Amino acid sequence: MLKILIPTMMLIPTTWLAPSKHIWPSALAHSLIIAIFSLLWLSSPGETGWWLLSNLMALDPLSTPLLVLTCWLLPLMILASQNHTSAEPVNRQRMYLMLLTSLQIFLIIAFSATEVLLFYVMFEATLIPTLILITRWGSQGERLNAGTYFLFYTLAASLPLLVALLILQKTTGSLSLLPLPYAAAFPLISVADKLWWAGCLLAFLVKMPLYGMHLWLPKAHVEAPIAGSMILAAVLLKLGGYGMMRMMVVLEPLTKELSYPFIILALWGVIMTGSVCLRQTDLKSLIAYSSVGHMGLVAGGILIQTPWGFTGALILMIAHGLTSSALLCLANTNYERTHTRTMMLARGMQMLLPLMTSWWFIATLANLALPPLPNLMGELMIITSLFNWSWMTIVLTGGGTLITAGYSLYMFLMTQRGPVPQHILALNPSHTREHLLLALHLLPLLLLILNPTLVWGWTA
Amino acid sequence: MQSTPLIMTTTLFLIFTILIYPVLTTLSPTPKTTTWAVLQAKTAIKLAFFVSLLPLFLFLNEGTEAVITNFSWMNTIIFDVNMSFKFDFYSVIFTPIALYVSWSILEFASWYMHSDPYMNRFFKYLLVFLIAMIVLVTANNMFQIFIGWEGVGIMSFLLIGWWYGRADANTAALQAVLYNRVGDIGLIFAMAWMATTLNSWEMQQIFVSAQSLDLTPPLLGLVLAATGKSAQFGLHPWLPSAMEGPTPVSALLHSSTMVVAGIFLLVRAGPLMENNPFILTTCLCLGALTTLFTATCALTQNDIKKIVAFSTSSQLGLMMVTIGLNQPQLAFLHICTHAFFKAMLFLCSGSIIHSLNDEQDIRKMGGMHHLTPFTSSCLTLGSLALTGTPFMAGFFSKDAIIEALNTSHLNAWALALTLLATSFTAIYSLRVVFFVSMGHPRFNSFSPINENNTAVVNPIKRLAWGSIIAGLLITSNIVLPKTPVMTMHPSLKLAALIVTILGLLIALELASLTNKQFKPTPKLLTHNFSNMLGFYPPIMHRLPSQLNLFLGQFIATQMVDQAWLDKVGPKAVYATNLPLITTTSNAQQGMVKTFLALFFLTFLIALLLLAA
Repeated sequence: MLKILIPTMMLIPTTWLAPSKHIWPSALAHSLIIAIFSLLWLSSPGETGWWLLSNLMALDPLSTPLLVLTCWLLPLMILASQNHTSAEPVNRQRMYLMLLTSLQIFLIIAFSATEVLLFYVMFEATLIPTLILITRWGSQGERLNAGTYFLFYTLAASLPLLVALLILQKTTGSLSLLPLPYAAAFPLISVADKLWWAGCLLAFLVKMPLYGMHLWLPKAHVEAPIAGSMILAAVLLKLGGYGMMRMMVVLEPLTKELSYPFIILALWGVIMTGSVCLRQTDLKSLIAYSSVGHMGLVAGGILIQTPWGFTGALILMIAHGLTSSALLCLANTNYERTHTRTMMLARGMQMLLPLMTSWWFIATLANLALPPLPNLMGELMIITSLFNWSWMTIVLTGGGTLITAGYSLYMFLMTQRGPVPQHILALNPSHTREHLLLALHLLPLLLLILNPTLVWGWTA
Repeated sequence: MQSTPLIMTTTLFLIFTILIYPVLTTLSPTPKTTTWAVLQAKTAIKLAFFVSLLPLFLFLNEGTEAVITNFSWMNTIIFDVNMSFKFDFYSVIFTPIALYVSWSILEFASWYMHSDPYMNRFFKYLLVFLIAMIVLVTANNMFQIFIGWEGVGIMSFLLIGWWYGRADANTAALQAVLYNRVGDIGLIFAMAWMATTLNSWEMQQIFVSAQSLDLTPPLLGLVLAATGKSAQFGLHPWLPSAMEGPTPVSALLHSSTMVVAGIFLLVRAGPLMENNPFILTTCLCLGALTTLFTATCALTQNDIKKIVAFSTSSQLGLMMVTIGLNQPQLAFLHICTHAFFKAMLFLCSGSIIHSLNDEQDIRKMGGMHHLTPFTSSCLTLGSLALTGTPFMAGFFSKDAIIEALNTSHLNAWALALTLLATSFTAIYSLRVVFFVSMGHPRFNSFSPINENNTAVVNPIKRLAWGSIIAGLLITSNIVLPKTPVMTMHPSLKLAALIVTILGLLIALELASLTNKQFKPTPKLLTHNFSNMLGFYPPIMHRLPSQLNLFLGQFIATQMVDQAWLDKVGPKAVYATNLPLITTTSNAQQGMVKTFLALFFLTFLIALLLLAA
């Protein structure tokens, strides 16, 4: 663990001490090396237990893919932000990189923590750099409002979690994830117990976000700079799913009935957010709403509590992490050239940036879950496990896939196809950096087709 | 003989390798020369065709079938998904046919698309499509079928939207994907059902373990899937819209290969369906409705490609009827013969469209028989094959289907509809021939008419041979697993021919009437129902999408997200806290005297109370 964590911490001196000319390349190289080393984690011993145990941290099949995704994303964020920060003074650039690095550190600890309270603290700690990313580095005035929404939604829901965790600590005597699944489940009878149940999950459901508590996400996505949107879509939302899966084992006996409204809400959210996407004019907002829909499926898969549900949820989280991040990068490449997120104003891009169109196409296909991409494997498993719970869910999940295909292709057609509008006169050609960025997003996704068991989680 | 399965499996992978190799070479950053399309892509398909003949001959000679399971792809605790290919009756026969037809179409495309700057990309798409199609055909488990299924769907999206500058092409592409996605829900449903109930997606395991179960729900899912992919009634409008794509695309995807995938899926699922009368009746009625409805639509179309498209849809309906008759092998036979003459019809119309400066309206054609004798002869030939003229390709399958239909004891309503549709086939086929190749030219004088190019003549010629002899070849070489009824009443035996001839006579009479004006001012009736495609697209494309978009904009975005959720969430917190905050802060205004006076008063009261 420390082999990754300490080099990640050493990224901070790298960013501050590197000569100004080399800040970006050195930070990129450094983080990429970390990312490559993190891939070693994937060669797990094969059993479903924990490994690389230390006092506070360990890996298991659930956290490993998410950790690797986290490490993988930092170089990509650095690559993506290079252009829009280039006009800033050098020290601010260093500051920015330090911010990203600190977020990375918190995330690594959060995903590898074996102590739930440590996880909780890191879960909260990620809010700080993210908040700074949104409110300091966003580009419009509305970023302050977005930051408020982001902070208060997540905080308001996560304080009950703290209380619930302390109660759990009092009853079981330990909050370590290792013995927790085997701890005697405590009798859950009264209304207060049910509230405790809700408290344990609410923070994660808001973070996911569950439909109905999602208002902060589109705002945050739209206002955040590219790196903020990327990490938000790719990893921060997955903290919610990860936390839920971790808590589920503790909540076992009550969840069966209590989760019904949440499952329904999540699935209904798939339809509703999909419909919202169909009417979006703002590219980033569309991607954000599509994230809400996909994470709704993840929430449904987790709440259903079957091995398939968990596996599907994990696969979909990883696949969606890469896909949505790629889509946001693509939206950003458009934004950096046309300076608008409105889809009507930046159309017919295939004529101007033809290679970008192929990236758009792959990312769109991943978003609409084309077989055999891991997105489909995840969705199919979740749909199957939901179907196993109730046949009627196929109406919502099936409708969801239809609408997802609809808005994904709508996005593709709107941005890439059609004639070039008159006002687009001189666009910069695409950079190698941007192509590299997208290749690094989409190649892992494509390679996962060959060995999806890497992100299979507990059922592998 | 031990080597036979080895040869079968080797050739299968050889086919895949040959087809994938040119696609892989396009990944290299050096741009390909313009000859790549013909030299590499077309040659690869041609080569693959010849390679695929080997297993075909082995199958015909020895009846070899093979299943290869070679890679455990993913497994959860008890559920495995493998890479598993099947080389059986259906895939061994269909693969060479698909490759043969594609070979011709690609060659034709090298002429048709020669002025397109991205011709290489076009060929690459066709190749990828073909690979997906072969994956679909040879798949032995549901997941692989799904891969091929969606693969061909998405390639059809790309190819329909080939001319992406045009709004119509983009809309048609989106429409195709959306209609197919509705069908995919059925496929996903069936897959979920199989995974939860049968715990397997492997074909043979499904067949074995499903025997004692009520299979109606998953089969309904599969029928829905087939309805989407094969453009059956209800999900049919995408097929005629797909004619926005280039003609080679229509010839390959939307007539001979991709659209039959739905029927093919049902053929594959045949063992599950044979004991389920409800599903069979559903297929029968659905197919009959489709075949008649689309034949009716074909009657009054003026766009040559649309007529051929509707006739495709009508033939797909006929195949569905055959599935409903519990004769999947016959349906498969019709898939095979249909591929030849329908692809040829499209190539002929493509050649004519190209010759007439991209004119697609048959009213503006005419007299082509003198100007493009080869193409128009083949157009006539294809039409004859389509109507089931004896001893052409269509006859062997269509006549067998209608015989099977006449001798069955099933739903007479469906049978009557199918017979009616059969006679309509003759009518619209004659209409095409009449308008395109007979009579006098009605087009502009300076049309670049030239069919004397080997890239036009050869593919059409090859397909023409196919349309003439394919039926005979296939039927005399294979043994249908189900014995057809051989003896029947002459009226039943001849029913198909009689209705076709009747249709032809009526059409001829109508055609000759148009030349004789009996009334000085003829009262022309507009064929609203047929012209408007049964009013289906105007209703179904407006109402549900309008409702959904209304839901998206006014309910989901404005009412829920921007109003209610905001109002009861963040805004409510804000609103409830604001009075408290303002009251408290308003109290703190630095008025020292007042504060001290208040403090003094309270202190006094407290003292008094304590003293008392």
